[in-house]
This record gives sequence, C-alpha cells and structure tokens, in this order.
Amino acid sequence: MIVCVSVVGHQNNPLYIQSFTDADDALKLHHVVHCSLDVIEERVNNPKTTLNEAFLGLLYPTLNYKVYGYLTNTKVKFILVTTDLDVRDTDVRNFFRKFHAAYVDAVSNPFHVPGKKITSRTFAQTVSNIVGSYGLN
Amino acid sequence: MRFLRRHDDDGDKEAIFALSLAGIPARLFSSDFPSLLFGIRSELGRRIQALSSIKTQPQGVMAGSAPEGTQKKLNQVLEGSKMMEEEYPEELRTPPVSLVALFGCAELHSSITNHLHSQQPPINALAFPDFSHLPLLLLAHRDVINNPTSSSFRDPLSSDSSSSPSAAVPSGGILKRDWLLKHRTKVPALVAAFFPSNHISGDPTQWLQVCSNLDTLKSVIRPKNIKLVVVVVQSSPHEVISEDRLLALRKRAELDSKYVLFLNHSELPLSLPRIASAFSDLALSYYREEARRIKSRIEKRSSTSLDLIVRYCFKVAVYAEFRRDWGEALKFYEDAYHSLHEMIGTSTRLPPIQRLVEIKTIAEQLHFKISTLLLHGGKLSEAVIWFHQHKSSYDKVVGSTEYNFLHWEWMSRQFLVFAELLETSSATVQNFSSLNQGTAEIPLTEFEFYPAYYYQLAAHYLQNKKSALELLLSMSVAAQQIGGSSESITPSVYVGQFSQLREKGEALTLHFITDEEYIRYAISEAKRFQGSFEIVAWLKKSYESFTNLKSRRMAAFCAFEIAREYFGLSDPSNAKFFFDIAANLYRQEGWVSLLWEVLGYLRECSRNLGALKAFVELSLEMVALPVTSCDDFGNLRDKTYGPGGPATVSRRESIHREVFTLMCRETELISSTEESGFKLASDSPLHLEIDLVSPLRPVLLASVAFHEQMIKPRALCSITLSLLSHLPLPVEIDHLEVQFNQSTCNFVVRNSQKPLVASPSSTVQSGSQVENEQSLVLVPNNWLRLTYAIKPEQSGKLECLSVLAKLGPRFTICSRAESPAAMEDSPVWKHENCVQSLPTKDPILAVFGQKATQVEEPEPQVDVSLGASGPALVGENFTMPIVVTSKGHAVHSGELKINLVDVGGGGLFSPREAEPFSLESHHVEICGIDGAEGNDESESETGNIKKIQQSFGLVSVPDLEEGESWSCKLEIKWHRAKPVMLFVSLGYLPQGNEANAQKVHIHKSLQIEGKMPLFITNRFMLPYRRDHLLLNRIKPAPDSEDMSSLPLNEKSVLVVSAKNCTEIALKLMCMSIELDDEQGKTSCLIQQGGGGGETSDSANLAPGEEFKKVFTVIPTMRTPKLSLGSVHMKWRRQGDYTEDACVSTKHKLAEVNVDASPLVMSLNCPPYAILGESFTYAITICNQTQLLQEAKFALADAQSFVLSGSHSNTVSVLPKSEHVLSYKLVPLTCGQQQLPKITLTSVRYSAEFQPSTIASSVFVFPSAPQANSTAK
Repeated sequence: MIVCVSVVGHQNNPLYIQSFTDADDALKLHHVVHCSLDVIEERVNNPKTTLNEAFLGLLYPTLNYKVYGYLTNTKVKFILVTTDLDVRDTDVRNFFRKFHAAYVDAVSNPFHVPGKKITSRTFAQTVSNIVGSYGLN
Repeated sequence: MRFLRRHDDDGDKEAIFALSLAGIPARLFSSDFPSLLFGIRSELGRRIQALSSIKTQPQGVMAGSAPEGTQKKLNQVLEGSKMMEEEYPEELRTPPVSLVALFGCAELHSSITNHLHSQQPPINALAFPDFSHLPLLLLAHRDVINNPTSSSFRDPLSSDSSSSPSAAVPSGGILKRDWLLKHRTKVPALVAAFFPSNHISGDPTQWLQVCSNLDTLKSVIRPKNIKLVVVVVQSSPHEVISEDRLLALRKRAELDSKYVLFLNHSELPLSLPRIASAFSDLALSYYREEARRIKSRIEKRSSTSLDLIVRYCFKVAVYAEFRRDWGEALKFYEDAYHSLHEMIGTSTRLPPIQRLVEIKTIAEQLHFKISTLLLHGGKLSEAVIWFHQHKSSYDKVVGSTEYNFLHWEWMSRQFLVFAELLETSSATVQNFSSLNQGTAEIPLTEFEFYPAYYYQLAAHYLQNKKSALELLLSMSVAAQQIGGSSESITPSVYVGQFSQLREKGEALTLHFITDEEYIRYAISEAKRFQGSFEIVAWLKKSYESFTNLKSRRMAAFCAFEIAREYFGLSDPSNAKFFFDIAANLYRQEGWVSLLWEVLGYLRECSRNLGALKAFVELSLEMVALPVTSCDDFGNLRDKTYGPGGPATVSRRESIHREVFTLMCRETELISSTEESGFKLASDSPLHLEIDLVSPLRPVLLASVAFHEQMIKPRALCSITLSLLSHLPLPVEIDHLEVQFNQSTCNFVVRNSQKPLVASPSSTVQSGSQVENEQSLVLVPNNWLRLTYAIKPEQSGKLECLSVLAKLGPRFTICSRAESPAAMEDSPVWKHENCVQSLPTKDPILAVFGQKATQVEEPEPQVDVSLGASGPALVGENFTMPIVVTSKGHAVHSGELKINLVDVGGGGLFSPREAEPFSLESHHVEICGIDGAEGNDESESETGNIKKIQQSFGLVSVPDLEEGESWSCKLEIKWHRAKPVMLFVSLGYLPQGNEANAQKVHIHKSLQIEGKMPLFITNRFMLPYRRDHLLLNRIKPAPDSEDMSSLPLNEKSVLVVSAKNCTEIALKLMCMSIELDDEQGKTSCLIQQGGGGGETSDSANLAPGEEFKKVFTVIPTMRTPKLSLGSVHMKWRRQGDYTEDACVSTKHKLAEVNVDASPLVMSLNCPPYAILGESFTYAITICNQTQLLQEAKFALADAQSFVLSGSHSNTVSVLPKSEHVLSYKLVPLTCGQQQLPKITLTSVRYSAEFQPSTIASSVFVFPSAPQANSTAK
C-alpha cells in the first residue's frame, strides 16, 4: 500500500506531500521523505553511477517503509513511500510515469508559479486516483 | 588481563595457574590474530568515547547546568556497555587458536612458547613444569565435564537433580556457555612430554619414572583423542642414546618415530621450527578428527533433536575455525543458524518466553560469527544481505506481546552489533559503489552500507523498547513493584538460559526458574538500564557519521531524535542545541510542517530555560509559518503531536494570543501571571531585530518607498511606509518609529487611540516630527500603507534604515526597511493561501520604489571666475587669477581644489615622450598659489591648508561675508606644449560653523593651451670657397643621416635663429651658447660672431618674426658626436616689465660630426670680374695627410667664360703639400655667373666632391666699378 507520495522541488523544498494512511504517522512520513532526499543527492552526485533514467529505484528501506524515487529533468523529485514488503519494479515505474504526467499537467497551469507549492485540487484528485489504482494491474 | 579476571570469578584457577606458569602474556589471547580482532578494549574505548561526547556537547551549554543525575546515568550506560561486552565474550569475538600442553623440562618452556606464538598461525601453549601437575590437566576436564558435584556450583540439569521444580522439562540446553572457552584455554590439541636424554638412557629408576609418567599421561589424554608428542632433550648434539631405549620409549608411548623429537639445548634455534611444525600438524589433525567425529554424528542423524544438530554444527564450525578453514566454518555456522530457526515453535523444552530468549541469544551469537567471517572475508554485500535476512527472519518473532520490550532490546542489539562490525571493517572496504548492489530479490541501497544507518535503527529499536517498557510499567502494578534486587538470578551453564542461585547451607545450587520469575528478572534488569543515554549515544554516532557523509537531512533527523530524547530527559539546553540543528535545515529547505514541530519543541525548551526572547521569537516564527492547516488536505492528522500542538489555524491563534498577552499585559499584572513560567523584571524591555534573512521576517515586513528619486533640500517629499504581517490575528501598534540615516528625518507615527506614553527613545530626538494616525492595526496579510511628507535638511543620500514598531509597553520589533523594488519572497515558500497584494497602491512605486533617495545640494550663491584664458607659453610661469565672489552666501571654511588634467587623457605624463633631459615627470605643473594680497599672515595664523602637488592644489579660502570677494593667483608652468584642463572647485559652508552643515560645491573648468614661444633652428656654414673632403658625407654612418659634419680645426659658422611662433609679441633679452661641460669646452671653441655686447641681442619679436645670431665654431677634437652645448635665451612678454617675468629657455643644439678632411680644395678667384678682362681662377688641392694622394679632376665648360687650361687630368699631391691648378678665364657675359665647375675625385677614397654652387660663382661687371673713387 502506498502511504505517502511527495513532490520535492529542485531546492529540496516540498511542493506537494500527501499521505494516504489512517495511522497517526503523517509527520513520520514527512521525515522519511525528507531523509530520502539525501539518498537522491548522493546517487545523483556520485560520479561512478550514471543515471540513465528518471526512475531512481529503491532509495532506502526504513523500519516499516520502502522509499522509491524519481528525478525529472528539471530536478524535481517524486518520492513514493510504501509499506509493501515485496514491490514489483514495474508497478513502481508505472506509478511514477502516471504521476509525472499528472505533475506536468498541474504545472502547465498558467496560474501555477513554478517552484511554488502545487495547490491544484485536480492534481490532488488525480494523484489519489493513481494511488488507488496502484498495484491493481 | 580482563580475560583472566573474568574467569577468576568462575573459579577456574587452574587455567590461570597454568598460563602464568608458562609465562604467557595474557594479552596474547586478545592480540594473537590482529587482523581478525575485535578487542574488548577498542570496543569499550569507542563506547566510552561516544558517551563522553554526550558530556562535552553542546559546548558551554552543559557546563554548570548538568542535571544532577547525569554522571550517575552515564555510569549506568557504561555498565550497560559492559553488559554488551559480556554478551559477546572474548572467545566469541576472536578466532580460536590451537592449544598445546607442555610437560617437563620447564626451563625450555618460555623459549618454546615464544616460538609457538610467533608462528603463523600462532599456537598457544599450556606449560606444566613437571608431571606432578598432570592432575591439573586432568582435573580441568573432569571438573566441568564429568564431575559436576565437585564444583561449588551444582548443575540443576544433571540427572541427579531432584530439586528442580520443572522436572517435566527435558534437561539441557543448546550450547554450553563455557565450551568454547574450554577448548581455547583448557583442552589442548596435543600434549608434548619433554624428557631429558639422561633420564632415558640413565639408570633404571629414572627410566621407570619416564615410563610411569608416560602411562599416566596416556591414560589422561587417550579418552579425549588428544595427540601425544615425546620430545627428548639432549644436552649436547653428540650425546648418544641407545636404540633400544628409544624403541622402548616409542613403544611405551605408542608413537610413530616422527613424533619422537629431539631437542638440543645448544642448537635450540634449529630444533624449534621442527617442533613447531610437528605441533601444528598434530593440532590440525586433532581438530580435523574431532570435527569429523562430530560431523558423522550429524550425518547419522542419531538424534533427531534439533538442539543437538545446532550444537554439533556449532562445534564443527569452531573446529574449522581452529583449522582456519573459514569456508567450512561459515557453512556450519549457517547450518546451525538455519536449524536453530526451525526450532522456533517446535521446541518445548523450556517455558515459552525463556525458550525464545535462548533461541534468540544463540541466533545472535551465530549471526555474529557469520557476519564477522563475512566482513573479514571482504564480502561486504553478502554480510549486508545476511543481516537483511537475519533481521527479516526474526523481525516478526516478537514472542509475548506483553513483554515485547525484550524483543525490541534484542533487535536493537542486532543493529548495534552489526553497526559496530561494519564500522570496524569499513576501513578495508570503502568503496561500495563498485560492489554488486545486492541481488534481484534484495536490492541494497547506499545507506545500508553505512554504520550510521544501523546505529540509527538500533537507537530506534531501543526507543521502542523504552516505550514498550514504559507502557508495561504503567499497565501493571506488579511490574512497578519489582525492585532493583533481582532474586539472585544468574546466567546458567547454557547459553541464553538463566537460573536461580540458591544457597543451601554451604553449597550454592542453580535452579530452574519459571517464566514469571524470568520476566521479573528481565524487568528489573531493564529498569536498571533505562536506555535513554544509550539511545542518545547511538543517535549521536549516527548523527556524526551522517554529517561526515554530508547527508544533512539524515543527520538532521538524528539530531531531532537526539533532541527529543534529551527533551524527554528534561535536559532543555542539550535538547535546544540539537533541535536548532534540525530547525535550521528545515527552515532552509522550507519543510514547514517539520519546522512547526521542531519549533514547538524549541519553544518549550526556551520556556523551560526561561529564555524569554527566544520564546517570543520562536512563538512568533511559529505563528507566522505558512502552515497549511490539516483541514485543507487531511495531512498532519498526526495524533502524537509535539508540544507545539497541531499546525492548525486555531493553534496558531492561541499561540499568538499567548505571546501577546505575555508581552503586552500591564505592568501591575505581571506578578499575578506566573503560570507561563517566566519571571520578568517589570522594566526589562524586549526588543526584536528583524533583518532580511531573519526567520521572523514574515512577522513584520516593512517596505519603504520614496516617491521621488531626487529631491530638493528643505523641500517636502513624500514617503510611503507599508507594513505587512503574517500573524494570524490583528496586531495593534502603539507607535511606529521610522529611522533614517539622517537622524533629523526620523519621525514617529503615533496611534491616537493609545494613551500617550512618554517613552524615552534614543533614536528619535525630542523635536522630531510626530504624526498621528487614527488607528495602527496590522490586519493579517494586508498591507498597512501610510504616506507622509518629510523635509530633509542635508544633501546626499537619504535612506530609510528601519521601522520600529512598539507593540506594548516593553515590546518592540525593529524591522529592517526594504525597497519594494528589491523585495523578494522567502526563497522556498510562499504564503500560498493569501492573496498577493502590492505594498503601495501605485504599481510603479510598488515595482520600482526605493527606500533611498538623493537630496540635491543647495544652489551655490558664490561665483568663481578664472581670470585668464590665453595661451600659456612653455617655460613661463603662467598666472591664472582666481576670484571668489560671494553673491548671496557667506563663505565659511571654504576650500578651493585645483586639478590639472591632461586633455588628451592618459595623465600628464606619458613615458613614450619622455626624454632624458626632462627630469620632471609632469609636463605641466602647478608652481604655486598666491593667496589674496595681504592675507598671508592671517593664513599662517589659522593654519589653513595649502597643499600643492604637481597637478593638484588645495587652498583654503578665508571666511567671506556676503558681497565680499577673494582672489588668488595660480601659477602654472608648462614644460611641454600641450593643452590642459584646469578644474577648480570650491566647497564651502554657507552657514558658519555648524557641525552637521553640508558643504556647497561650485565647479569651474577651463582648457588652457600651452604653446612653445620660440622656434629655434640652427645651421652651419663652412668657410667660403674651401671645400673639405669629409668622408662622412660620402659614406654616412647609418644613424647620422641628418647630422652635420664639420671639418676639424676649421672655423665654421653657426647661425642660430629663433622664430616667435605665438600670437604675442615677445622681447628677446639675450641669446648665448653654453657648452655643456669641461669636455665640451676642450673639444670645441665657440665664439660669438660680430663680437657685439649683450644689448645687441635684445630684440623685439613680433609674432612670426625671426631673430638670428651668428657664432663661429672651431672643433678641436675629432669625434663622431660633438656636443655643441645649448642655446640659452632669455625672453619675456612684451609690455611685461617685472623682473620675474623674464623667462629663460634652453635649446639643445644637435650634435655634429667632426672629421679631419684629407683633401681640401680651395677656390681662388677675384671678388669680381670685368667683362672681357681675363682673371686667374686657381684651384688649390691641399693634401693634409701623410700619404700621397692621387686626385682626378674634371673641369666643366661654362658658357659665360672662355677658359684656358686642362680640362681633366690626374695629379698626385705629395703629403702635406699643395697642388695648384691655375686657369685663365675671360668673362663673356655680365652679371652673376657660374664659374666652370670643377669636380675632384680622390682615388684613394674613391670620393668625388664639388664646390657648392654659390661658392663657385662670381659677379661680372660690364666695366671696372668706380666704387673706390667714390669712396675716397
């Protein structure tokens, strides 16, 4: 189950963070997402690994969560936190593909200020649909 | 030494005795194999270091304010770490080393043991001086294995135990606690018996003694399959032992001949390697056989009990380690681990809780062994994957949910131990990015290779344990009552089991305990070690490690966790230190919700610390945060809030109210409002400074815009002040103070609804402007716009510095003023939820408005005139009168600045034009400034400034009343002809001596042309009708193109002419030639032509007129470059009769070439001729050399003359003699006629020369002139 998705700007500021859990660990998820930025930074700055694709794969396993990352060309990061123990790579890739499309739609809005928080309700709705359909196919 | 001490407690005195007898340094047990070492010492050292860092950090915060119990708690953690150390005894942490026992010949033991230790791999030795100590070896076995009753401990699990309360439980455990130790320190792989050779070949009693010793030895070691070696010690190499005796010895010992060794006292170094290799072979075979024996038991499956299989696998692995067969060791450890895992849920031997504890303890040990072997084999990825599997296979094995703190503690230990293992091995494997990152099933990420990750999780599990324990203690009253004194429960003989020690008279017995008893024990142990300091220590390690890895966010998270732990320990100063670390990062990256939480904690910390200012700042920062409340997105429904509470609008409002009631309450109420925890002195004001980077900027944003970019002095100008606050509730301001860099402009805006409080303020003077406003209320997210007019007094930049808002009797906020044009949002977050509006109504001002403006200077009412304009002449002192006339302003402390600037640019000096004689670097310079007439004395009295440099001058102007004037003369001298710009600027104070008055400046400039007054030329004239063959003329030297040549010792004429090239009439006073120096005086002789006096020189020169003067020059020295000195002239402008006005100008004459001429040709003819009358035209060729000169001559016919004589010929002229060519000529035409032209060619010099045309012409009269008669 996806418990949290997040969009983080190129200055590592949160643009959108949404948790999908009833448990009272939303703040913990914020910490998890924030910490995972370190892994992305390390992976991006490591000269030995070349990034061929936007999908970054598993960032790191925490106690109960697995964190996956995705880096767009504009250095905007998507982060997914799931509680599933075995995650299929293709599912995550699919998720991020859809999520990216939704993000592009949201920031194409002429009233959106780039680099600022995404407040579009349509985006929120689309994201929750994507999260709901995750792992079904 | 610690090793020994521990077993001392167990009562194993024999081993110590043995070891000390043999002289083995105890440290060998911890350093026998350095590369595989996990020394207690280093581990403990690390832990102490980590703990001591708790004490030292944060610097200065803890000092003096450490809670009383800190030291005690630290000691507890240290004890806790010792407990960890006991968790993994030495023998488990280091690889085993083969053990041999030595008997007899004690004098050899030390050298043998030393040699064995230095072997690779080393061998440990137990040394017994003689065979009487044999029972010690024997006892060591029996004591533990065969004869439990003889021990002071009574094993309750032995068959004869009847007192055990749980008799139904099958006896035994999985692993004996001391099995490994026993094999490392007590059970040797072989026994070496040393016999002196004289005992063997000696008398029968000695021989019998040898035999009996051997028999006893055999009887002891045979059952244990311990190998035997007999060493015969010879005193000399030539000593012979009879074959029979040796055979008998071999038979008696039942040994192969290769295991009967000979040792020679004198050849010890040679014998020792032989002995060592034999020992090593035998030890290997002993361990191999033992392993094989046990392996066969596993294969036979004689026992289906998993317990035994685990035990056998463990033993085989240990034997493999003895043999350094790491692969097999790993394999069997893994087998044991897997078999053990199968036991979960199947084993019924012990009560459920203890059973799980035992399994987990053994699993931990096995895991430890496996991880160690993997890591030290360099298999980092495998080790990490192994840990992964270990963690996931035991993650869910919680056991009793009620007592899950046991599980958390165990898990925490797994992470901690792995972290430490990883840390010690990370030195060898640094670069994991090149490693295979996990497998397809278990992908590994970067952080799983960092010890920091495991430290962090260890701390996390310990937190779980702590909270689980707290929950348990709060739930059950019984648990609370468990005291610190546990009922003498100790670890039993089996690993992971506990039993009760009961005293029965003299004997101590071990008894089984029930789960309840065990839990009581575990709770009491857990109560002793609360774990907070361990959590902090591990998190701190993690924090430091992440900081070193530049993982700032991970580090910040760790800091946050540390701080929370400190917060829980009621240590606000330490908590604050770490919260601040986290808050800084969250602030920087705009993680508002995280920041809110941290700030909430920090607020409480500062409240507990009594730091009012920090408390107010943090509270204001919190309330001004753009936290999207939980209602909008459903985020942050976290029920476990920090002390900041939920980030909702209502919570922000309540914090806001709390702060403002705290700060704005009336003075008399203070004593009654102590509940917030602050004790304030009633007159302690709180002043907050907000600058552009302050996190408090959203609290009060002050934008200031001047309406004009340039304003007149003393004229009103408009300024708009816009204030914005993101506080959730409206704020009423008592008064505002606007501060400028010109403090006279500062003004106050007063809220007329508030009572007038006489508040002394340092920044606003008493007489300053005061504005009144009906209301000064800052409505959230709305600009409060105020426009006022101010009247600047001074010219220059006028900038608004800050706006100070007084919000209560003692609460002021000072916000740095910002220009609307330069105003920027916070870089990472915006107040998204509110409407963006402009700070001013005028959109142009909102976009381009500036907080600073320029105040113009007042109009100068003083005139500065520059009196002269005409061209200046080079060399003279050009006088420039400057007149300062007051026309309305009085002049006070005036200063006249004078600047000369080259019009052509590039300064007044250009190196390219530099000439050797012009030593002055400036071509134009100010020579002096004459003050106003008669004012010299006063100037010197007042010490006025009068600085003159070559192109800069500074003159002070005396004070002038209105209508007065002052003048001075500026003298400028040109060294070169060039135009120059003269800048004169006068700065003065119109109003007397006011300290803060501003100067008014007037600027004037004038371009002045500098001109050469006289153009001087010179030419030489050689003696008339005497032509010299000057070789230089024929073959000129390359650099002397234009150089004139003069013959040596001949009188030449020099004509110097000076032309007035200005438009001004000049008077030339005198002209002379001065030779440069002594050499010049000797080398040539110059006389004035004409011989007239000085007066004859003086002449008036109208513009364009020329003056000439003739000199004779006789060079007396032959030189290619003869300096003729320079022409000195004195002149002045016509009509200027002052003495000073006379200017002397120097002009250097060009150098000439002086040459001796070998041939001189002189023409001789009468001064005039008469038509038709013949005259003689003689040409004399004079040879001035010592050589015979051959000269060709050719005479050209002339139309006007009839000529007699040879036209051309070659003549030889003897040295120092002359040859005369004589012609008779009859003129045919009147007037100036050209004589026949002669061309002379010197053969020797192949040079040809002719007399000049003027020299070879003569005037022909028609008849003889009558001049003589008339003259007479």
